[in-house]
Amino acid sequence: MKQNKTLWIVLAVVAVLLIAGVTSYNGLVNKDEMVNNAWANVQAQYQRRADLIPNLVNTVKGYAAHEKETLDAVIAARSKATQITIDPTNATPEQLAKFQSAQGELSQALGRLLALSENYPDLKANQNFSELQAQLEGTENRIAVSRQDFNKTVQEYNQSVRSFPTNIFAGMFGFEKKTAFEADAAASQAPSVSF
Amino acid sequence: MKQLKTLFLCSLLLAIALPALAQKWSVDNLEMVYLKDSTQYVCNPDGVMGDSARMATNRILRRLEVDKGVQTVVVVVKHLEGDDPFTFGMDLSRKYGIGNKQKTGLIIILATEDRSYQILTGRGLEGTFPDAICRRVEDRIMVPQLKNNNWDAAILETVRALDQVVRGDSTIVGDNDSDDDDLPAVLIVMACIIVGASVIGIVVTIAARKKCPKCGKIKHVRLVKTITKGRKKTCTWHCTKCNHTFETTEQIGNDSFGGSAGAGPIIIGGGQRRGGGFGGGGFGGGSFGGGSFGGGGSGGRF
Repeated sequence: MKQNKTLWIVLAVVAVLLIAGVTSYNGLVNKDEMVNNAWANVQAQYQRRADLIPNLVNTVKGYAAHEKETLDAVIAARSKATQITIDPTNATPEQLAKFQSAQGELSQALGRLLALSENYPDLKANQNFSELQAQLEGTENRIAVSRQDFNKTVQEYNQSVRSFPTNIFAGMFGFEKKTAFEADAAASQAPSVSF
Repeated sequence: MKQLKTLFLCSLLLAIALPALAQKWSVDNLEMVYLKDSTQYVCNPDGVMGDSARMATNRILRRLEVDKGVQTVVVVVKHLEGDDPFTFGMDLSRKYGIGNKQKTGLIIILATEDRSYQILTGRGLEGTFPDAICRRVEDRIMVPQLKNNNWDAAILETVRALDQVVRGDSTIVGDNDSDDDDLPAVLIVMACIIVGASVIGIVVTIAARKKCPKCGKIKHVRLVKTITKGRKKTCTWHCTKCNHTFETTEQIGNDSFGGSAGAGPIIIGGGQRRGGGFGGGGFGGGSFGGGSFGGGGSGGRF
């Protein structure tokens, strides 16, 4: 009879652990998927920006063809940035930093291109250019928003991975801490202009 | 001397009033008028817009919401805290979830003394309003009016133009959700009333049951008939267990059972009245249905 009682206790403990494990696991999977989703959105917005660039460069070329250096810089930065794709499920902080710096360089090159347009009143008055510029600005805004959302989901994920008792199951099932975006180092620095 | 004193007082009042007038609005201190009255879309705390233009704008936006389900918030102020209409708009959208479930929210912001403007499109409107279209509306309609300080015309004509664009897009359909949204609330209230009434009914029935004087059981006693004469109520009871029939007489009004039996309908009446109030509140003030913004739209300075 006493053995029977201990058996029941063991069974109850196992059941509680199992339920806790299943809920923690499912919660982590859910949050993990949300991070992936947020990352997909970030990449989509960066891609959107990359897709806008050829059109923009061509429009600017029509008015300021001799600003070759700036135009080439944008094209080069674009191709460099589009080459780097990373997988958020196992992105190291270094990879993410690399991705970020490549995109940051593109932002700077684009900034220079748009600043240059100030010198060309005809270009500025061009409706097509104005709308492209609006699309580009909108995309930069979308990038900022999607990055914020990504960081928020990563933070939530990391919080649950590290908090007790989920951390035990996270360790068991191999859920690791994920990397969020750092504040843009490239953006906070003054752009270095070298000719 | 008295005149001097009045002058001093006036200038003092002005000195107090001026900073209040030039208040910098943030998401936290801006009152969302739509939530109080679902026909009001323009937040105009500084009174920048005239009443007629504001009302005309409200009318267009009300029809737009009814027909197309597009929820719009127009903010016209003098100064924005931080002087950043984009961030302000995004914070506003996050705080209130402007837009319905199709995420067709729209935010128009104008800060006249910051000289900045911004149109923000909800995720569901990005197809209808690509950034380029927003910019085109701004360049052709809004900014020329803003440059002449015609705030009323700038907002009204912009809203008209945006209204045209939305109506031209057949993929945006009026969601019946906004009306349906009130329905579950009403249903919940009704369900509460019904459940509450039945619980009270059961309690009252149980409480009103009699103990059989012969066998002492409560469970098997059934009410056979009730005769009310004047203030006297005579009930006939039958016990199915021992086949004993007995009568009870009660004074209606000061009897405890009579009182509690009467309490049923009274409480139900109260519940219905509360339900009516709830429904009225729902129709008076608007509610935002959890739309979200991804940062689409266009803005600038004039």
